[in-house]
Amino acid sequence: MLDMEPVYDVVWPKSRLGAQSRPPAHRLDTLHGKRIAFAWDHLFRGDELFPVLAAELQRRFDGIEIVGYETFGNLHGPNERELVDGLPAALAMHRIDGVVSGNGC
Amino acid sequence: MPTVSLVCEGFEHQAAATGRGLGFDALPIALLRGHVDAQSYDDMVAAFLEHTVDQVIDGLTAEIRVDADGAAEPAALDVVARGTIDRIHRTFTERGWSDGLAIIPPTRERVEAFIAVSGHDPWRLIGTARPSGRDITVWSVAVNAVMAGCEPEQLPVLLAIADALVDPHYGVEHSGNTTGADALVIVNGPVIGELGFNHGPGAMRDGAGGPNTVVARWLRLFLRNVHGFTADEHDKATFGNSSRVVMAEDEAALAEIGWQPVAAEFGHPAGSDAVTIARMNSGIIVGSVVGSTPEQILPYLADGLARVVGWDLTHVYGLGQGQQRPLLVLSPVLARIFGRAGWTKADVQQALFERARIPARRFEQLIGEWSNLTAGRRTLVDLVDEGVVPPVFAESADPDRLVPIVTEPAKFVIAVAGDPNRTNAYVLSSDGPHGDWTSKPIDRAYSTDLVCSVSRPSDAAR
Repeated sequence: MLDMEPVYDVVWPKSRLGAQSRPPAHRLDTLHGKRIAFAWDHLFRGDELFPVLAAELQRRFDGIEIVGYETFGNLHGPNERELVDGLPAALAMHRIDGVVSGNGC
Repeated sequence: MPTVSLVCEGFEHQAAATGRGLGFDALPIALLRGHVDAQSYDDMVAAFLEHTVDQVIDGLTAEIRVDADGAAEPAALDVVARGTIDRIHRTFTERGWSDGLAIIPPTRERVEAFIAVSGHDPWRLIGTARPSGRDITVWSVAVNAVMAGCEPEQLPVLLAIADALVDPHYGVEHSGNTTGADALVIVNGPVIGELGFNHGPGAMRDGAGGPNTVVARWLRLFLRNVHGFTADEHDKATFGNSSRVVMAEDEAALAEIGWQPVAAEFGHPAGSDAVTIARMNSGIIVGSVVGSTPEQILPYLADGLARVVGWDLTHVYGLGQGQQRPLLVLSPVLARIFGRAGWTKADVQQALFERARIPARRFEQLIGEWSNLTAGRRTLVDLVDEGVVPPVFAESADPDRLVPIVTEPAKFVIAVAGDPNRTNAYVLSSDGPHGDWTSKPIDRAYSTDLVCSVSRPSDAAR
C-alpha cells in the first residue's frame, strides 16, 4: 500500500538573497601611520579590551593613531540605528583608514 | 573601508551570515577565546594578546580572497524535493527547513491556490528580511503558511505580521539574541470572530482552538526560512522560548467596560482588524487573584509585574532607553473589577506605576553588577543626573528606595483575554527595542495587485 502513496514535488521555503554581494574593501598595506577607529557596542568588556588593543597596536606600529570608541557612541544602545546610519560619515569626517568593531558575544 | 570585528567563540557562523545578509562575504573577524564575561581580567587579556591581536592585524592588512560562488540556490518555483509525505517531512527536517513537526508538503499548486483566494501578486516584494537579506514576497509567506497548515483565509493576517517584521521599529534582526525572547502576536478586530481566533480558555496555549497555533507556527517557520534564524546562522538563543501562540483579545469584555483594545494604543481604533507584535522574554502567572475592588487586587498584579522583570530592566536604560513595556493580561473577570469601579486603562497604568516597584539596589545589580549591561556600572542617581532616565528613579540616594520598573505609566500594556470565569492574570516582560511593540492593519479586501495570472518566463528564474 505504501507504493500507492501520493508523491509530492515541493518548492523551496526560503527566498532569493536580495542583497547584492560586494567584495570586501581592499586591506591596508601597513598599519604604520594609519588612523584606526574603534567602534563598540558597549558590551562584553570592550572598555577593558580596547585599551589593551590600543596599547599593543601602538607598540607594534609607528605613527598609528587610534580614534577611540567614545567618538562614535554606543552602537547597540538606544540610538543604535541613527548612530550606525551615521557611521560612514563619521568615519570620513575623522579620516579613518580602518575600523576594529566589537564585541559580538 | 577595511574592517575587522571582534567576535566571541561560537559566534563565527552568525558573524559570517550577518555579513552575507548585508551583501559582504568573507568579512574578517578576530576571535575572542571563550566568553569574556566568564573570564578573569588577567585570563581575558592574556588570551587576547596571545590569540586575538594578530587576527586583528591580519583582518586589516591581509587581502581577502573571496571564493567563487558556492552552490547556486534554488529559484522560487524549482522543485527542491520529491517524495511521499514522510520523505518530504524528513528531508525538510534534515535540511533545517522545518521545526520537526509534520508539515503540509508545499507543492507549487497548493501555494498558488493558497494565494489565489485573496488575489495577491505572488511576487509582490514586501521588503527585505533582516538579517538574512532575503526577499520577502507574498510567495515566501505562502510557502511557509502551507507548510504550517494555515488556511488561505489567514493570508491577510500573515501579510500584516510580515509587514510588522519589515518595519525597522520592530527590530526583527534581534530575533536570535542570546536571551531568546519570542514574539507574541495579539490580534484585534472583527477578524477574531470571523476567522475563529480563540480568546477564551487556553488563550495562550497551543492547540486550544482556532488558528492561534498555526499562525504562530507560520511565524516561527518564516523567521527560520526567510529571516535566517537557525542555529547555524542567526539564532544565538542560549535556551530560547517555545513559540508563543497568537493571542486574541476578548473584545466583548473590552467593549463592556469601555476599554480600548491593545491595537488602539498603537494607532488602530477599536473595530478595525490589526495585529500587534512584540518579543517577550519571560512570563509568569498571577494566579487565584482574590478581591472584588481594584485596591484589593492591585498589589498582587503589581507584584507579578515587579517579579517578571529582571535582565530586561536593561531596556529601561542600557540596551534600550525607556523601552521596557511589560504586558499584563487580565482575565475578563479581573478586567470587570476595574470596569465596575469606573477605572480606565490609564487609571490602572498609573496605579501599577506607583505599586510595581523594586529596590534601587536590586535594579542596579540587575543592569550593572550582575550583567555588566550598563557601561561603567552607573547608578540610577548617575543616570538621572545624565538625564537618560526620569527623576523618579532618584528621589533620594537611599539604595533601598523603591523605584519603578518602567519610565512612565503608559509603558504598561494591558490586554484582556483568557477564561472568562477565572481570576487569573499573566505578566510578561518585553525585550525592548529587540522586538518593540509594532502594530499593522490587516487588509482582508480582495487584492488588485495581480494583473495577470499567466506565468512569465522570468518566474522560472525567481
